[in-house]
Amino acid sequence: MSVLNFDSKQCERIRRHLDAYLSNELLVETTSDVLRHLESCEGCSRELEARTRVRDALRRAAASQVPPEELRQSIHRQLRKMQPDFLGVSLRVRMVVALAGIIGVVLGTIATEHWIRARRGRQMVASVLALGVSDHIQCAIKGHNYPEIANPPEQLRKKLGPQYAGLLEVVQQKLPGFEILEAHICSVQGSPRKYVHFITRGRGTILSVILTRSEGEQLPNGTAFRSGASGSVNLYEAHLEGMNAAGFQSKEYWGFVVSDLSRDTTMQIAYELAPPLKAALDAGSGSEARADLNRGTQVGVPGGKGCSSKPRRGRSRIPTFA
Amino acid sequence: MDLFFHPKVRVEDFEAAAMPHFPDLYRTARLLAQDRAEAEDLVQEVYLHAWKSFHRFELGTNCRAWLFKILFHRLHHFRRRWAKAAKVEGFESPEDQDNIIAETPVPQEIRDEDVLNALGRVPIEFREVVLLADVQEFSYKEIAETMKLPLGTVMSRLSRGRKLLRQELAGVATSYGITPAGDDPQTGESA
Repeated sequence: MSVLNFDSKQCERIRRHLDAYLSNELLVETTSDVLRHLESCEGCSRELEARTRVRDALRRAAASQVPPEELRQSIHRQLRKMQPDFLGVSLRVRMVVALAGIIGVVLGTIATEHWIRARRGRQMVASVLALGVSDHIQCAIKGHNYPEIANPPEQLRKKLGPQYAGLLEVVQQKLPGFEILEAHICSVQGSPRKYVHFITRGRGTILSVILTRSEGEQLPNGTAFRSGASGSVNLYEAHLEGMNAAGFQSKEYWGFVVSDLSRDTTMQIAYELAPPLKAALDAGSGSEARADLNRGTQVGVPGGKGCSSKPRRGRSRIPTFA
Repeated sequence: MDLFFHPKVRVEDFEAAAMPHFPDLYRTARLLAQDRAEAEDLVQEVYLHAWKSFHRFELGTNCRAWLFKILFHRLHHFRRRWAKAAKVEGFESPEDQDNIIAETPVPQEIRDEDVLNALGRVPIEFREVVLLADVQEFSYKEIAETMKLPLGTVMSRLSRGRKLLRQELAGVATSYGITPAGDDPQTGESA
């Protein structure tokens, strides 16, 4: 390498532009400056000529690289292989994708329907069990329609009438540790529905066994809705208004066990109680009483008022017993 | 899979747009790759990759620039695998830019072989910018976009790359016992 002798600042400035000049990247004004200088400066002209010579030599050398024809052919063949066969593979693939889409839609629809059915089923279980819970709360807890000392069985049978009197024994037998304080037919204020209501005391609290007509409606039978089974009787459960309720159904009745005992205890009591109660109801022990319930007759309640939901002042708290 | 959703893209259209640039792509790849086999692999990859994404290419726009962009994307991917990639640390220092008055004499007779040998010794980062500017005649802006570099870096690499090539050429000429024609050894000025 040798160093050029020039004393002109102008030459230094122009040479800084020579790369851009060679690449045709200079502004018009700057190009004019460069050209004017080159006309009068042999050194810079020679430098430009040298750079141009290198560039031209590079272009020639690059052009001497002949692209192999076999590479071009190879690329051509590979591109053809990758071209989708519109009447063959891709059509089949498209059909498979379309079929998968249809199956997806069908499965999605089925799943959605299943989900809607399940939701409705759960809602229905909750609404049916809410009947028992509301009678327990309104009649037994808030209404306190039971005596501190249990009514004698004869009186309870009389209140239940001959139609339901037989159930008294079933409840008594299958509720060991619980004392039946009261048994009657009652209703919740604002509803014509009638309930056969056994109010019992045990384990430090009040527990209701309640029966009411199902009016032909059936609780959903799927395993997703029931919480267990006792023999052939499906058991349902819900936690409503602070109470645990277990429910079952016979041919024409819904039965409930409602208390503030634990879920497991309530379910265990229902597990023992539901099969004999269902059997008794299905056997027709309550057939005549059904007629009574349909007529709205309130057996054993003086004045026909039953144990309406009207709470008794000062007795609304849940009683506890040692 | 992209092509599956774009069945209207025809390979004939792709070839019509892209294959005319095959010689330029090959020459550039050949002068940047380490050997012919690598250059061929590179060009083949460029075309297959371009075909797969051809549905995204807007016909009528600059297909050549698009293919070169893919070439350099693949090249940089390749280069990561090349253990012998040239190191360029220090080449872009400000001192290099200021050393403008030092000009290397250029032989009058330059053989293609000498140029190719000299070019092979220029670090690849400079070589690729020199090739894009001086051989493929891309603008600075196009080079910046193709290589994803700032414009200033393109300019400095081009300037430095040209100087390096010139130095290497002079070295090749000297090794053959050729004195750069007409250069005054005292001043560097031609007689």
